[in-house]
Amino acid sequence: MSSLLARFAGNMCWLGRYLERAENIARILHINETYGRDDPHGPEWRRVLRLYSDEKRFDSTHDEADAASVLGFYVIERDNPASIVSAIVAARENARSVRHLISTEMWTHLNIFSSQVRALSAKDLSLANLSVVATAVINGCQSFEGIAEGTFLRGEPWCFFQIGKYLERADQTTRILDISSDRLLLDKEDTVATVQWNLLLRSVSAYHAYRGRHPGLSGPHDIAAFLLYDTEFPRAVTLCVGRVTELLQDIEKRHGMRRGTKVEEARRSLEFSLDTGPGHELTPNSLHAFLDGLQVSLGRVSNVIGETYFR
Amino acid sequence: MPHSPSFLTPTGPLLADYDFGEYYCEMFGRRTLPHTREICKRLNQMDMAALRRRARNAEKELFNLGITFTVYTDRDAIDRILPFDVIPRVLSPVDWKIIESGVKQRVAAINAFLHDVYHKQHILKDGIVPTDLIIGHEHYREEMRDVDVPHGTYVHICGTDIVRDEKGKFLVLEDNGRTPSGVSYVIENRHLMMRAFPDLADGFHIANVDSYGAQLARAMAAVAPIGVTDPTVVLLSPGVFNSAYFEHVYLAREMGAPLVEGQDLVVENDKVYMRTTNGLEPVHVIYRRINDDFLDPDAFRSESTLGVAGLFSAYRKGNVTLANAIGTGIADDKAVYAYMPRIIRYYLDEDPILDNVPTNICREPEGLAKTLANLDKLVTKPVGEAGGYGVVIGPRASKRELQELKTLLRSNPANYISQPMVNLSVCPTLIGRAIEPRHVDLRPFALTGDSTWVLSGGLSRVALRRGSLVVNSSQGGGSKDTWVLV
Repeated sequence: MSSLLARFAGNMCWLGRYLERAENIARILHINETYGRDDPHGPEWRRVLRLYSDEKRFDSTHDEADAASVLGFYVIERDNPASIVSAIVAARENARSVRHLISTEMWTHLNIFSSQVRALSAKDLSLANLSVVATAVINGCQSFEGIAEGTFLRGEPWCFFQIGKYLERADQTTRILDISSDRLLLDKEDTVATVQWNLLLRSVSAYHAYRGRHPGLSGPHDIAAFLLYDTEFPRAVTLCVGRVTELLQDIEKRHGMRRGTKVEEARRSLEFSLDTGPGHELTPNSLHAFLDGLQVSLGRVSNVIGETYFR
Repeated sequence: MPHSPSFLTPTGPLLADYDFGEYYCEMFGRRTLPHTREICKRLNQMDMAALRRRARNAEKELFNLGITFTVYTDRDAIDRILPFDVIPRVLSPVDWKIIESGVKQRVAAINAFLHDVYHKQHILKDGIVPTDLIIGHEHYREEMRDVDVPHGTYVHICGTDIVRDEKGKFLVLEDNGRTPSGVSYVIENRHLMMRAFPDLADGFHIANVDSYGAQLARAMAAVAPIGVTDPTVVLLSPGVFNSAYFEHVYLAREMGAPLVEGQDLVVENDKVYMRTTNGLEPVHVIYRRINDDFLDPDAFRSESTLGVAGLFSAYRKGNVTLANAIGTGIADDKAVYAYMPRIIRYYLDEDPILDNVPTNICREPEGLAKTLANLDKLVTKPVGEAGGYGVVIGPRASKRELQELKTLLRSNPANYISQPMVNLSVCPTLIGRAIEPRHVDLRPFALTGDSTWVLSGGLSRVALRRGSLVVNSSQGGGSKDTWVLV
C-alpha cells in the first residue's frame, strides 16, 4: 500500500486544526460574554483581541471594540482569516481536497454545517443570542469529530487529522487560560474570582472533571495546573502533547523509517518548556509569559511537521 | 391528440395531460410500450404534490451531499447542482442489447483506427480516410507515431452520445474519446432515485450500476506497464476548481486511488513518482482528466501548470500508462465521425450496429452537391468548431444566412458536414406542476483494458427548456436516472 500523498497530509492536518479553532473561538467568545455578566460595564471585548494578538488588524477596519464589532469580526467576517466562518470555510476547502479519503458522512456533515455558518448574519449575533450561536458552532465541530471517530479509517490521514486537532487544542487551551490570567490570579479568596474560575472551567467542559480531582476548596493554581498538566482531561495541554507524540510515532512505524529527526527535536523542546512551568510562583505575569512560550513551542512543532511531511 | 397516452392507460391523473405529439417517447414509444406499462401505472397513481415534494427533497439531498459543481464569482463560490428529473428513462432489454453491442463495436473500431493511424497508416494509404484530414489535425500527435500502448488500447474510457429519432431508432451523434465526463451522475442519480422512489422501482429487476469503480480499477490495472504486477493507479485532476471535480473525487474513491494534481507528481529518470509523507513512491497508471495540451509542459504547452514535466518522455518509454492515451482527439472529431461507418467496416469487416446520423461529407463532391441542393432542410456544421458554434439549422435560417453559407461551402467545402434535422425522442419530465415531454439523449460509458465492458444504462441528459434540443448542462440541461430492465 502506498503512503499518503504529502499534500493530503497537510489537508488533513489543517482540517483538524480549523475545526478545533472554530470550536475554541466560539468557546472564548462565550466565556468572555459570561465574565461580563458580573461587570457593570459589561464584557471587555478588547481582551479577546489581545488574546489572539488581533488588535492591530481589528483597529484598522473598525472604530470601536464593542460587542457587535468584535463578535462580527470573530464570527461572520469573511475578510478576517481568524473568524469562525473563515475557519469553517477553510476546513471545508481542505476537506474538499481529501474528499475521496474521508467518509461521505464527514463530508456531508461539514458541507451542511458550513452552509449554516455561512448563513449567519449580524442580526444573529446579539449578546442574548450569542450563547445559542456559540453552542451551535461547538456542536457542529464536535459532531464532525464524532462522525470521524465512528466512520474514518485509522490510517495515516487519521493521524494527521488528529495531530492538527491536538496541536490546535493545546494552543487554544493556553489562550483560554491566558484570557483569565490577568484578573483571576490576584486573590485566592475572592468569591468573584471563584465564580469566574468556575465559568472558565465550564467553558472548556472541565468543571465536573476538575471537581472530581479537587473535591474540596482549591485555588487558581490548581485550576491552571489541571488545564496544563492533567493526563486524562482531553483539553489539557499535557494530554494533547502526549497524543501528538503517539501519533508521530504511529506515522514513523507505518513508514518503517525515521524521517522526523527535526520533528523529534521540536517535540522534545515543547515537552521541556511544558515541564519548566512557573510552578508555585504563579503570578499573572509569570503565567502569561509561560503560556506565551508554550504557544511558540507549539508553533515550532507545527512548522517542522509541515516541512517534514507536507511537501 | 392521437398519441396522448391517457386513453391507453386509463389509470390515473398524473400522466393524463401528457402529450408527446409526433415524437418518439421513451416511456410510450409511438403509442405504448409493454415494458413500461407497470411503471406508467405506478406513476399515474402518484399525486402531483407528492411527486413535487419528493423531487424537492431529492434536489436538496444533492446539495447536502455536495454533488455539485462550483461556479466562482469575485466574491464567492456558489455550488450548483445538475438539475435532476425524478421520472426515470427506461430502456428495454432489447434496446440495451443494441446499444451495448453497438458501443463495443465502435470502441473496437476506434482503438484499431488509432493504432493504425499512429503506426502504419493503412487506412490513409488505402484512401478510406483522407490523409490531410488526419495529419495536420489539431489533435493529431506525430509524437505518438510508433509508440506502443498496452493491449493496443487508446480509448480506455469512452462516452458515446446516442439519440433516438422519431421512429425510435438509435443513432450515434458523437464519440467522446478524450476525457468523457458524467458517469458519476449515473451512479448518484440511481442512489438518489432508489431513496426517493423505492416504491416506483419495487419488484423490477433493474441492471445495477454499482460496479463501475471496480471495473474501472480492473481496466486500469490491465493496462499497467509490462512487468508491473501490483500497479499504483492515480487519478490526475486539474484540481478543486475544475467543474468536474466532484466526479474526480467520486472516481478516485470508487477506485481506491489517490486523487493527485500535477504538483504531486514528479518524473525522475523517465519514471513517474508521487510525493508522499514517506518520500517519492512510484506511479504506474494515470487516469488523467487533463487534456493532452496541458499534460507535460516540456512536451506540449510550456505554460501549463497543471501537468508534470517529463511525463511524456516517461510515457513514450512505456514506464507509465496514460488513460486515455495521448492523441485520441482525432477520433472524436466531427469530420472523422462522418467516416466512422467506413472505419468500422474497414477494420472489423462488419456493418455498424449503431448508425450515424446520416452525414454528408462536403469534402466529397457528392456530399457537397447534396448539401448545396438541400441547404434549407439540413443542419450544416463546421468540423473544426465545438459547442455548436457556426452551426446553421436550415429550416430556421434566413435566406441571407443560407446564401452566405453557400459561399462558404463553395470556398472551403472540407470544413463542413451536413445532416438532416433529427427529431430527438422525448421523455415525460416534471416541469413546474405538469408532466411535459422533453428531449433526451443517452451517453453510455465503455471501459476498455484488455476487453470492453459497458456500464448498463448511461447518462440520460434532458433539455429542460421547452422545444430545446440542447441537453448540455451549460444550456439548461438536466439529467435522469436511466433504467435498463433485465
